[in-house]
Amino acid sequence: MAQETVGTASGAATGSPAVSGPVPVGAVRDLDRGQLGEARGGVWGWFMQRVTAVILIVGLGTHLVATHILSIGELSYDNIAARLAGAFFVVIDVALLAAAIYHGLNGLRMVLLDYFWNARRQRLVFTYLLWAFGSAFFVFGLWALWPWIT
Amino acid sequence: MWAWLLFRVAGVVLAIYLFVHIVIISQGRMTGASTLDSIFETFDKPLFLLLDLLLVWAVLFHGLNGVRVLLMDVGVGIRSHKAVFVSAMVLAVALFVFFIVAAWPLVF
Repeated sequence: MAQETVGTASGAATGSPAVSGPVPVGAVRDLDRGQLGEARGGVWGWFMQRVTAVILIVGLGTHLVATHILSIGELSYDNIAARLAGAFFVVIDVALLAAAIYHGLNGLRMVLLDYFWNARRQRLVFTYLLWAFGSAFFVFGLWALWPWIT
Repeated sequence: MWAWLLFRVAGVVLAIYLFVHIVIISQGRMTGASTLDSIFETFDKPLFLLLDLLLVWAVLFHGLNGVRVLLMDVGVGIRSHKAVFVSAMVLAVALFVFFIVAAWPLVF
């Protein structure tokens, strides 16, 4: 099964270039736009999703091992404070906060845009709302980490 | 198809969890260290450890399938995408077992 092909007229977000598979004749234009996959969400959104994915693979791997393997059963306010006393985990955590919020919301955006809001203006408004929500959460997350960082 | 669908489902679950996670960790500053510590104690109970493992599986599946997607973006493994998928899932299961073993002493 061609699970990564853009095989529908909507250019459904599959996360990879079109490979093969039958495409309805009238859908060729959409398929063209779907060459990068998720092109309905914009090429920048597609590209940044990949950039943040790489940050997440490295950062989340580090976070999971350090927090949930090495400190398993010992999680506490002080345990977090000890980790965030060093610059390494401050960088990891702040990068994770930004990358995860972007990747999560952009992912949700691409999923929802596959099913809703075909008008360009609606899609833009939805995107701006997500930016507002994500930015607010990044500031909130940074605020929450601040006593540990400083 | 299934890889694509589960990739999306896991992604949506993780996106929602992310904001729950931020709100929980923020309790350290919102309501104080002792509140956060009592939340962590609750999270060491078997039910939450089970949910943690589901979360770990969602991360591993989404992350490793995502690696496959990234590889296909740069032109690697397009023809052999099924073999790449199986390899990614074998690695995911291996890492999952590692996390289960690590969590075992907390459950028993």
